[in-house]
Amino acid sequence: MKWTGPALTVAWLCVAGGTFLAAQNSPANLPIQGVPDKNPFEGDPAAIQAGLGLFRVRCADCHGMDARGVRGPDITQVWASGRTDPGLFRTVKFGVPNTEMPSNPRILDHEAWQILAYLRTLAAPAPTDPPRGNAQNGEKIFRANCAGCHRVNAAGGRLGPDLSRVGVARARDAIVRRIRGSTEQMGSGYEPVTITPAAGPPIYGVKKNEDLFSVQIMDTRERIQGYEKDKMKAVVNDTKSAMPAFGVDRLSESDLDDVVRYLQSLRGFDPAVRQ
Amino acid sequence: MRAAIARFARVVLLASYAGALVLTAQQAPPPLVTSQEILDGLKPDGSRWLTFGGNYNNQRHSPLTQITPANVNRLVPQWTFQTGTLGNFETTTLLRDNVLYATGPLNVAWALDARTGRQIWRYRRELPETGLTACCGLVNRGFGVLGDKLFMTTLDAHLLALDIKTGAVVWDVTLEDYKIGYASTIAPLVVKDKVIVGVAGGEFGIRGFIDAYETQTGKRAWRFYTIPGPGEPGHNTWAGDSWKIGGAGVWVTGAYDPEQNLVFYGIGNPGPDYHSESREGDNLYSDSLVALDADTGKLRWYYQFTPHDLHDWDATQVPVLADIPIGGQPRKVVMFANRNGFYYTLDRTTGKVIMAKPFVTTTWAKEIGSDGRPMLLPGHKPDEKGEVTCPDITGATNFWPPAYDPSTRTFFVNAREVCATFYSWKPEYIPGERFTGGAAQRVISPDSPVYGALRAIDPATGNLKWEFRYLNPSTAGLLTTASGVIFSGDSEGNLLALDSRKGTLLWRYQLGATMHGTSPITYMLDGRQHVLVPAGTTLTAWALPQ
Repeated sequence: MKWTGPALTVAWLCVAGGTFLAAQNSPANLPIQGVPDKNPFEGDPAAIQAGLGLFRVRCADCHGMDARGVRGPDITQVWASGRTDPGLFRTVKFGVPNTEMPSNPRILDHEAWQILAYLRTLAAPAPTDPPRGNAQNGEKIFRANCAGCHRVNAAGGRLGPDLSRVGVARARDAIVRRIRGSTEQMGSGYEPVTITPAAGPPIYGVKKNEDLFSVQIMDTRERIQGYEKDKMKAVVNDTKSAMPAFGVDRLSESDLDDVVRYLQSLRGFDPAVRQ
Repeated sequence: MRAAIARFARVVLLASYAGALVLTAQQAPPPLVTSQEILDGLKPDGSRWLTFGGNYNNQRHSPLTQITPANVNRLVPQWTFQTGTLGNFETTTLLRDNVLYATGPLNVAWALDARTGRQIWRYRRELPETGLTACCGLVNRGFGVLGDKLFMTTLDAHLLALDIKTGAVVWDVTLEDYKIGYASTIAPLVVKDKVIVGVAGGEFGIRGFIDAYETQTGKRAWRFYTIPGPGEPGHNTWAGDSWKIGGAGVWVTGAYDPEQNLVFYGIGNPGPDYHSESREGDNLYSDSLVALDADTGKLRWYYQFTPHDLHDWDATQVPVLADIPIGGQPRKVVMFANRNGFYYTLDRTTGKVIMAKPFVTTTWAKEIGSDGRPMLLPGHKPDEKGEVTCPDITGATNFWPPAYDPSTRTFFVNAREVCATFYSWKPEYIPGERFTGGAAQRVISPDSPVYGALRAIDPATGNLKWEFRYLNPSTAGLLTTASGVIFSGDSEGNLLALDSRKGTLLWRYQLGATMHGTSPITYMLDGRQHVLVPAGTTLTAWALPQ
């Protein structure tokens, strides 16, 4: 069975469906100045399926089948890094001047939105079950247990990733796995490392950068510092994440639901929130 | 009164003119660059670097010996030049009469005072705002030079001759239409009175070619299509009309053998890159090394490394020529570390394989058979589900130049150990749009560690003499010196100097950007050996302290 046959047929049927949808929602007909603030197809299953077909044909050769980058960069975390729907729409349509990211005049507006709807599912797949938990209680639990290492809205620790945008960057399942202790992916910048200096106790931290000769870390006291490897007794990459596992003994299922609900509510730095 | 002023002005003018004549006589510039100078290549006086590989054999091996394994750790920067552009260098700079000539990203180019790094002139091409189709960076790999002209290819698929003294355009010819997928990033190769270039666009459904132009006029002397047309030998290796859009670009500079009057060029991948059924057949001369008569462009021989390639393994690596004894017999060889994972030593008079051996983990072919064809292993045809193959899409090595030390008969290459999952589907050809028929993603798992290494290979046996491992795959080009130093770069931006006989690290410096596809050059300036390193958007010159 060829991937192209049925899959592309489905994709193009969806494109056709998308076109119909587009005609109803009118993003395809909007002048570029009128780009909506939010993807009109976000979460729309038919648009996501159409976007998958378009992504593979138009984008995957550079950005990889999983969008994590091959010739071009990883684009799964573009929202987490602060890009907006209209900005990304313009990038898809008009490219990035003076780089190899081309303009795509043949990609219709609704197709660009479909691609972005699909891309969004790679960053944070849509939940399959209804939301549950109490966000207010979740915030309290977060402040007591997590904020020592994680920041939200400019408050909290810095050793772990800033979670102000985690609600748009991660699916519920992924958040749950990390809290419960999975270390399947230690993100770049957060890989644990132990440095043993020529004199003094070991230094524990997370790796911010590394080359053959040096390593740059944030230690558990949040000191950022570089170390030359040949001046250390040892530099060891730890296999255990610096993030402690919160099993059911430390965080009940109900409390977990509350924390996740709170995290899912986070959409980015909010200057209106007073610390 | 007015007449007196006029007389006085005439006298001053004449006096100045006479003074200028005297000055000219005192500081006569050296004669224009001759083809003999390029043929002679790198000289022990270190006064020039006039062609992409230093010599026509592309060995990138300098006769200079002032910088040695014992003192290389005392190198200090002399100056840094910054382009003020986006993008990055992929260039080999040229040097003559204490002036450097560099091409940069976005078809900006410079002449620089080699003593200070100060700009003498700058050229910038006005590029189309949309429609450029360079697949993998808006880059350029360097100038060619002859007489009073520099030659440069452009992202909108032109070839320019610039006035070496001013950077002004002398002539400008169109290679092909950039709007239908053609671009040019290759450093021109000047052979006698011709300048030889190729076109990129293997991901855009072009039909590749190598062109030669008269250096004086820009008139085209010959064209060699890398995909044979109807009635030509090899045409039947392309099913149907697939030859018309079969890719096979040429974007890395070849070598020249004056004795045979042959140029050797590696040819790019067939297109669509991954989809087999779109182009059944061997797809000649994609992924081949072709030997062409330098005067006529006629094909003398070819060798295809990867028949019917489905993994984007362009053979656009730099061919390196040498005469070496193999099995007790002197052989004229061309050495080629290929993107497909095999290192080859070919007889450059016939194109026959003398020796071929993997130089990285290679899963798609068992070995190269006695007929010169790879003995394929099953399960390496990309499909809708994806298949895992080593090397990955970028390959075992790529366009970054290797080097060869004839005194130790050692071939050096920056190798990559990476595997990928390849996918394929039937693409639609739309002129000027990507036409690859698939995609790939790198395999990252504990079972398949990703790393790179500088490898020293014996070209007679293919055996590894030594390796220096990097944390990640490097894309840096190489330079060796007669004193036993090899310069490289790692993937984290370190410039490295190693002992070329042992592979031990001698010195390093963090450049702040990788030497992506660039090789250092070395030359003498005021009695001191200099090493010039392009990295990111900077050029930095190094020398021992005075």
